[in-house]
Amino acid sequence: MSASAPIDPRGPRFGAAITAVLLLVVVFLTLTGASVAALFLLIALAALFAWGTIAGVARHPYAALFKAVVRPRLAPPRELEGPEAPTFAQGVGLAVTLVGVILGLLGFPAAVGVAAAAAFVAAFLNAVFDYCLGCQIYLLLVRAGLIAPAPTAS
Amino acid sequence: MTTLGALAWVAGLIVLTAVLGLTWRARQGRVHTEQGDVVTSAEVFSDAPFGPEATLLQFSTEFCARCPATRRLLGTIADAHSGVAHVDVDLTHRPELARRFNVLQTPTTLILDRTGRVRARIGGPPNRADVTDHLSRLTSPVQGTVAPDHSITCSTTHSTTH
Repeated sequence: MSASAPIDPRGPRFGAAITAVLLLVVVFLTLTGASVAALFLLIALAALFAWGTIAGVARHPYAALFKAVVRPRLAPPRELEGPEAPTFAQGVGLAVTLVGVILGLLGFPAAVGVAAAAAFVAAFLNAVFDYCLGCQIYLLLVRAGLIAPAPTAS
Repeated sequence: MTTLGALAWVAGLIVLTAVLGLTWRARQGRVHTEQGDVVTSAEVFSDAPFGPEATLLQFSTEFCARCPATRRLLGTIADAHSGVAHVDVDLTHRPELARRFNVLQTPTTLILDRTGRVRARIGGPPNRADVTDHLSRLTSPVQGTVAPDHSITCSTTHSTTH
């Protein structure tokens, strides 16, 4: 894989913090019975995850917000990171929220809240504890043999 | 559900996730001593030889945010200790190694003694003091037999990415 331009690792964490708050709102709306509002917000969040997955985290709207508003107020980062793992994590977020959206459209409003809660756990751990869910899931896929096999099998 | 009840559930979710995060963070980078198998460099497809005193065997994947920083840290530790080698193995195309060494997160670092036996395991980004401390215990004369006459130093950092 070609190495993409490294990014400030605090950028994706900033985005995850906003996402985590919005996912909590979805959980809250589901619990209070505002199923339609919950479903629409989850659709919006799934669309944002799709943006991050397809365009990459560096071209996500939250990344632009981070660059314009947050980064100038912070000290330079200690380390830069490759954007591959957080972009992959966006794909994981898309998969989880999409399951919630589809089940919600099929008439299971509780699934919207459950999917939002699951995605919240990952986004919160990422934002607060710098947990890299993308890295973890990727390793599990490797272990399960779902990533391309050895190019030079021996 | 009432607004208050819903808020209580939301607060519970936050607390539960925070506890999960604190537990996870407390375990990151901790050195767990163990008596494992003897590993050879050929088994992990490494072109670089293991160190005559000790080896820091790092497992990474292509999608690993903390692996490059860990690679640099372990490289400088190996450079600072004669006879200690750092070997970085990319598991992306070697799932059998991930299973064999029970790698559940990246980076995972194994500390091998001079015979290649696994003596410690570190899940997550290691910290310099703990690694140095463990290395000095492994390589101290009290630990093993008479120190072999290794006049060469082996502290190269190699990667088997390609």
